[in-house]
Amino acid sequence: MSEFANSHAHAEFGSVYPFAAIVDQELMKKALILNAIDPKIGGVLIKGDKGTAKSTAVRALAALLPEIDVIDGCEYGCDPADHASKCRQCAEGVGPTGRATVSRRRVRLVNLPLNATEDKVIGSIDLERAIKEGVKRFEPGLLALAHRGVIYIDEVNLLNDHIVDVLLDVASTGVNRVERETISFAHPAEIVLVGSMNPEEGELRPQLLDRFGLCVQVEGLSDPADRVELIRRREAHDVQPASFAERWERDQTALRERIVGARQRAVRVLMTDESVKLIAAICLENSVSGHRADVVIERTARAIAAWEGRTRVATDDILLAAELALPHRRRASVPSEPPPPQQQHEHEHQHDDEDQQHERDEEMNSDTDSREQTPARSGQDRPDQSETEQSPDPQDSQGETGPSGSSMRDEVFSVGEPYRVRRIAPKEKKTLRRGSGRRSRAKTASKSGRYVKAVQRRDSRDVAIDSTLRAAAPYQLGRRAKALERELAVVVEAADIRDKVREKRVGNLLIFIVDASGSMGAQRRMIETKAAILSLLIDAYQKRDRVGMVVFRGDSAELLLPPTNSVELARKKLEEMPVGGKTPLSCGLARAYEVAKAHLRKDPDTPPLLILITDGRANVSMSDIRPLEEARKVAIAIEEEERIKTLVIDTEKDGLIRLGMAAEIARVLGGQYAKVEELRAEGIVGAVMSAL
Amino acid sequence: MSYHNRVTYPFTAIVGQEKMRKALILNAINPRIGGVLIRGEKGTAKSTAARALADLLPEIEVVEGCVYGCDPADMNGMCEECKEKIAAGSQLASTFRKTRVVDLPVSATEDRVVGTLDIEHAITKGEKRFERGILAEAHRGILYVDEVNLLDDSLADLMLDTAAMGVNVVEREGVSHWHPARFMLVGTMNPEEGELRPQLLDRFGLCVEIEGIADADLRVEVIKRRSRYEADPAAFATEWEEAQEAERGRILSAARMLSDVEIPDEMLQLVATIAIRTGVQGHRADIVMTKTSRTLAAYHGRAAVSKDDVREAADLTLLHRTRRKPFEEMGLDRLQLDKAMSEAS
Repeated sequence: MSEFANSHAHAEFGSVYPFAAIVDQELMKKALILNAIDPKIGGVLIKGDKGTAKSTAVRALAALLPEIDVIDGCEYGCDPADHASKCRQCAEGVGPTGRATVSRRRVRLVNLPLNATEDKVIGSIDLERAIKEGVKRFEPGLLALAHRGVIYIDEVNLLNDHIVDVLLDVASTGVNRVERETISFAHPAEIVLVGSMNPEEGELRPQLLDRFGLCVQVEGLSDPADRVELIRRREAHDVQPASFAERWERDQTALRERIVGARQRAVRVLMTDESVKLIAAICLENSVSGHRADVVIERTARAIAAWEGRTRVATDDILLAAELALPHRRRASVPSEPPPPQQQHEHEHQHDDEDQQHERDEEMNSDTDSREQTPARSGQDRPDQSETEQSPDPQDSQGETGPSGSSMRDEVFSVGEPYRVRRIAPKEKKTLRRGSGRRSRAKTASKSGRYVKAVQRRDSRDVAIDSTLRAAAPYQLGRRAKALERELAVVVEAADIRDKVREKRVGNLLIFIVDASGSMGAQRRMIETKAAILSLLIDAYQKRDRVGMVVFRGDSAELLLPPTNSVELARKKLEEMPVGGKTPLSCGLARAYEVAKAHLRKDPDTPPLLILITDGRANVSMSDIRPLEEARKVAIAIEEEERIKTLVIDTEKDGLIRLGMAAEIARVLGGQYAKVEELRAEGIVGAVMSAL
Repeated sequence: MSYHNRVTYPFTAIVGQEKMRKALILNAINPRIGGVLIRGEKGTAKSTAARALADLLPEIEVVEGCVYGCDPADMNGMCEECKEKIAAGSQLASTFRKTRVVDLPVSATEDRVVGTLDIEHAITKGEKRFERGILAEAHRGILYVDEVNLLDDSLADLMLDTAAMGVNVVEREGVSHWHPARFMLVGTMNPEEGELRPQLLDRFGLCVEIEGIADADLRVEVIKRRSRYEADPAAFATEWEEAQEAERGRILSAARMLSDVEIPDEMLQLVATIAIRTGVQGHRADIVMTKTSRTLAAYHGRAAVSKDDVREAADLTLLHRTRRKPFEEMGLDRLQLDKAMSEAS
């Protein structure tokens, strides 16, 4: 069973768990089988919790894939019956006489590992032949192997963006065009994508999402009996794989035969006009973008009918097909569900889709898409919002005037419910970094990060030797004399040298500067502020940011949390943070500035983002300058350090007396500004809508 | 690997930290459990234990001349070269060697971990050849990752993927290659430095939390043994040789009887109930819990899994798999666990 074409290992190695032995998960199994019946359905994306047999099922699918006719000896496995898309060789070789011999082989399931580099995916020059024989020959990559087959990407949401770009291009054109290393070549590459992912780890780009024909969500089994059966089978498989496989061979054969039968029947399945109309109606109803969904539903429904042994599509077939084809294409809000924290996690990720940042223009549709889901939830999220906002704020002025009344007492407030926050990527300045990333995906000049591809030398001193050799390869015949003279096998000249392009997901350093003065203790303000910070912390966790926290109150500022990866620790500190006393804003800013500078000395690659959370009512200074004036001075110093970015979150309530001092500081800092109410992701929906 | 040349601290001489020692031994008996994640402070004998374990393990039989050290008895799990040799009808000679401990430093680069194009060979001979990386080195040994939570995301993904699959597939820098890579994964982390992503946590079979020893007498014992060891490692090792030999024998016999250990239906029910009750995600917990209980039974020389085995296994397998809210501290719902246990009786 060596269906993993690129790594014969995969299937042969150890032993593959039989498809028929997978317990339950009917929808996922059905989706995979339908693709085996008709690969033109376009693949499956399997989403689900970790440990729910996602990869097991896909790997097991290999043994069930049908056989196809291929032209004998063709590296790409061209279809003898398809005259339109053949590789160069077959197109030349098979004239009107059609003398090519035909053989049969099983459809391949090609594994695309996360560590793949671009050259291996699209193919490159055959290094050995170029050097030794001076022959320029294209060495096919994974895409060639996968022509007319399936590409499987485990953890597809972690796949490198460069590779995703390549896949998208090929998936839409069906042709792999290679222009590199003096090779100009194209070959057909009709591929079906099968991916599995755990949404907790981030979402997929919408364009890639649309490339998957079907999408299923899997969950762990809840029936104890099923679970017991699952454990029992798994143990039996692990302990004695050979006899386990034997035991399941009959079921496997039956499944395989049923698939073959369904394949033959599929071409004869009839679809009435009403059925087609129903499909169109369903797609309209669900306001899916584009027409791919219609086509996929149609094909899937046919395959379902064929699988069920019918030659006529029933309404149920269409409904099931829609259930499989629509979840990832629906534009309008998905049925709103109460958002438990876990769910929130997932929703959040739809936002952090890397490329929305710089593809915002083209992607406006899908972008608003994910946001449209939110208003449904806003009501639940803040039931008492209006109440708090309307009531005047008697303690406000007290806190401002200093030590009087209850604001002197230190209090510890609870943390409000977290929510998902709008994107707060810092505005990029012109450096080597490029927008996108977890928060920022940086192409750093340093030698760390994943090597994804190579480019003509840029003098980064990070030479991509493999690529350099390939670049030099075609010229070796001409340089033979030189090679002999110097006793070298390969002569590399300066122009051949290629540098590595590395990609690293860098988180930023977020330094929270929290106003914990008495004025913040008024009303629910601190509870809300803490909720805001916690929400930002959750966001920071998902983007792998480091966080630090400076708190100012009384006469001084304290570095409550030195920069750390531990968001848990930050949360703990946040919970324990006492509130009370005066507002030494300038002192807080100065302390944070020191921390940011120290960080920049150590790690110039990740620019810090200062997040100031305050109502801006400074009333204590470090020197004899007026407090607000002093705060402004510090702010100017921060503004002058180009690498530090800022965001001010204004906690001042709309009320009778609005002083707008936080806004003033934000203006001096030259960074972004938001009111605490606006931080909620729903807030931005309104903003985007009104801007349209 | 200089530490192979000096006398390792004997595994059996480690004071306290029973859970960690148990978790390591269980993995040694049954490699399919899938490794251990050790969470705890610095200086709690984590790395000593990993190295000591390798030293404790019996020598393994390897195919002579095979760069990966294939197991002559496991035809299925062999590397390409060995398989070809067998296909060609040649007899594979075998030899013995110690179990290796391979370190994966946090600063490692991806090409060194998975392997890459052999540059020297490419330049001097003009041929492509695969240069093995750390994952190849670790085959049939122990891969020790200190501070696994600080490891680059992409590296952690690769490493855990390989650990789960038992094979390393390389498609990069002009080379396509695969080789077997079954290793016992031992990761350590200090939670204060940041959490591991849940996805990665789940890939570790077992998880134990350790802390410094609070008992004053035991602490004194730690210091005493350590200084005796440092003064004369060889003499210290001799002192412990008997205990080492006994433990080695116990591991060997447990491994031998493992496949014969029965797991009664009620115990499978119990495993499933516990998993549902404690709200773990997915089915990996159930599967690992079962394997761990069987291994525990084997270690205790019992022919069938008992309730206590399941209970102990639950302790080792569920801690890092329980569904939790963002940033809640990791913890096992003991109440639910007890409930499930009492229901079963």
